Amino acid sequence: MQQLTNEIRAIARKLLREKKVEVVIGFERGSMPLRSRPCFIRKEEEVNRLFWDGFCENALAVYLPKRKERAAIVAKGCDSRAVVELIKEKQVQRDRVILIGVPCRGMVDRSRIESSAAPRRILEMREIEDTLILRGTDFEETLKRSEFLHESCKTCTHPNPVLHDVLVSEWLEEKNEDPFADIQTFDALTAEERWDYLNKEVDKCIRCYACRNACPLCYCPECFVDASLPQWIGKSIDSSDTMIFHLMRAYHLAGRCVSCGACERACPVGVDIRKLNRKLVKDVKDLFGYEAGLNLEQTSPLATFRPDDTESFIVNP
Amino acid sequence: MIPGGYGLPPSSKILKKDRLPSFLERLLEERIVFAPVRRGEVILIREIHAPSEVVLEYENAKESPKSIFFPEREPLFRYRTEKGKVEVDIPPGRERSRVVFGIRPCDARGLLLLDKVLGGEYRDPYYFDKRAETLVVSLACDHPNPSCFCLSMGGGPCSPEGSDLLLLDLSDGYLAEAVSERGAALLEDPAFEKSDEESLAVAKKIKRESEVSMKPVAMKENLEEHLERVFDDPVWKDLTETCLGCGICTYLCPTCYCFDLCDEAAGSSGERIRVWDSCQFPLFTQQASGLNPRPTAKERFRQRIMHKFSYLPKSQAMLGCVGCGRCVTECPVNLDIREVVKSLSGGNGG
Amino acid sequence: MAESGKWEPKILAFLCNWCSYAGADLAGTSRIQYPPNVRIIRVPCSGRVSPFFILSSLQKGVDGVLVSGCHPGECHYLTGNYSARRKFALLKSLLEFAGVEESRVQFSWVSASEGARFAKLIEKVTAEIRELGPSKRLVKTPHQGVFHATANK
Repeated sequence: MQQLTNEIRAIARKLLREKKVEVVIGFERGSMPLRSRPCFIRKEEEVNRLFWDGFCENALAVYLPKRKERAAIVAKGCDSRAVVELIKEKQVQRDRVILIGVPCRGMVDRSRIESSAAPRRILEMREIEDTLILRGTDFEETLKRSEFLHESCKTCTHPNPVLHDVLVSEWLEEKNEDPFADIQTFDALTAEERWDYLNKEVDKCIRCYACRNACPLCYCPECFVDASLPQWIGKSIDSSDTMIFHLMRAYHLAGRCVSCGACERACPVGVDIRKLNRKLVKDVKDLFGYEAGLNLEQTSPLATFRPDDTESFIVNP
Repeated sequence: MIPGGYGLPPSSKILKKDRLPSFLERLLEERIVFAPVRRGEVILIREIHAPSEVVLEYENAKESPKSIFFPEREPLFRYRTEKGKVEVDIPPGRERSRVVFGIRPCDARGLLLLDKVLGGEYRDPYYFDKRAETLVVSLACDHPNPSCFCLSMGGGPCSPEGSDLLLLDLSDGYLAEAVSERGAALLEDPAFEKSDEESLAVAKKIKRESEVSMKPVAMKENLEEHLERVFDDPVWKDLTETCLGCGICTYLCPTCYCFDLCDEAAGSSGERIRVWDSCQFPLFTQQASGLNPRPTAKERFRQRIMHKFSYLPKSQAMLGCVGCGRCVTECPVNLDIREVVKSLSGGNGG
Repeated sequence: MAESGKWEPKILAFLCNWCSYAGADLAGTSRIQYPPNVRIIRVPCSGRVSPFFILSSLQKGVDGVLVSGCHPGECHYLTGNYSARRKFALLKSLLEFAGVEESRVQFSWVSASEGARFAKLIEKVTAEIRELGPSKRLVKTPHQGVFHATANK
């Protein structure tokens, strides 16, 4: 980890010194154990704030749209895919952003670590290869890193940055498993069971919109939940309103969602937000052969069509 | 109010842990009881129907208990128009009294701020209807979380403020201190036994250790005045740059009380509801003209800090933060209010 | 509600101006009978139908939604229905995934000359939705009526 941190710092220093960028968007150590957080570095003497470990989970591409400065961004696989989509949607100019690509071994879910250690409290954590060494007031424990990854990272098929200007560290082997086994399992349930499950999930929602705001692809100047003429959905935690909010949030990301999982990680009450998103990611792949954010050339699936697109759902009396 | 606070409580008893279920049973017979329960991975304060649902080995509930008094969605009245005649229907008052059992002292103290803001000249009947009929039994923190900072905000891990009864875990039982007359009445329950000098001494020691374990937040004297001076300081931009503009900090906060009113109509009848709102949302200050006086996350975040650390101390003589630490642990980008306060305290702008 | 108070489904149909609406018109002028359960909203093109139209309709309590446009290749605006088809395919799949019954929301193509097809379509859709019974999922239960008897003023 220290080596990656050093490499990122060196690249950032060089970019700032040569005035290639005005700001480097990366991660720094957070204010608590098991936390890293986004930071903005504008001066060469501040580059040592930059840091890299298994908790650099935020989707930094969220900070790119509307940014006037020329920026460099530390980009994991999912971040780079988000940048690709943003470039395609003309929210980011390719020549105004430099991607510092970091092949990512998956980010660690702090809540899993905390509950495995509970009720003991963790004061410090070190990360060495595939082990996490926790230290608390009266204990020290070694955990296997790969067992504590975020859900979104477990099913990640693109850990390497798909677009990068500088690369940190080495290319990782990409998994070739079917990432949608869970969606197929869910789909096999009855409609009643699926509805009940999602309703229970959505019932936890407090409508704080953290899922929306953490999403790198949610940049509309006016979100549909804020529209008042017409007002599509009510503002309260009424179960119908909340369900429609989650359905439409997911739907708006159809063909755009890069499966970074930022929505689910931001949710303070643990709603299974990605279920709907992933269903659409799978559908878009199955029906239109498109995966979001993989290259700059392919047209977005809902901005195009083929005459022989699926007709299977059309009623023929 | 019975004079309480620190030191030897004027009226305290012991509740042995094996007698807690019978106490809760009797509470349930007369009242609606809210208590910490486990829902999946998290602890929430919810209505309970059996003592076995209650979880008291917990740090703090994910959401603050303010929704018990100030719900996320609250009907204010229903209306119906028929042939030019308007009928308005107002929700009835609460029929059964309630008790909130086992919340943390920071959250109980947060209610005092809500009492001030929603009380006063324009008393909020919906809030006080629930507040007046609800007893608060809180559970002191013997091991405050590293994210907690109640002591620096004027409360404390074992503070009785806002509670009717304060419980302190002595491992085989709880020391129960009556803070109000209503709390003292609860001590009449047969589950409680007389306390002894030894338990009181242990309790005193636990309280002291708990307070000592908390890291103080570096906060300037007269911060409320100082903040006014640094209102235009460029530091705000740096402090808020990572803010995503979501409403987690305000929605989970035990003292944030901003709301919006909406009409939900269907044909000629409908309902006026009150829903939570957040100063972190652009729509909060968006005007019909198109102007938004708080156009970016910077202004909105500044409002949150100013409100909690400057405006409320001036208008209500109480900080708008009780140090529960929810915004610290739940912020998706770890924007830590303690660091913000520290940074503003050290700043020399203005 | 039909006569004798028996429940009858209420179905909302979004029909494109150039084909399906004209098809419905033809069914009418040709005096072809079809169930009266459908309420028609004319839209310029099936591509105009936002998913919000469909979800809002379900939220407000209609029992079924039908969207119909020109056959592929025959769109008055050349490609409106092609674009719509992709959107609808995803929306339909998402709603079903979430547990909304398969027949609640349906899509079809009806041309201006297909009055008989339109009538058959409405018969089929109505029968299927009648079979499902009243819509419950996604319906926003109106908060109406009195809280208690004495508060009226």
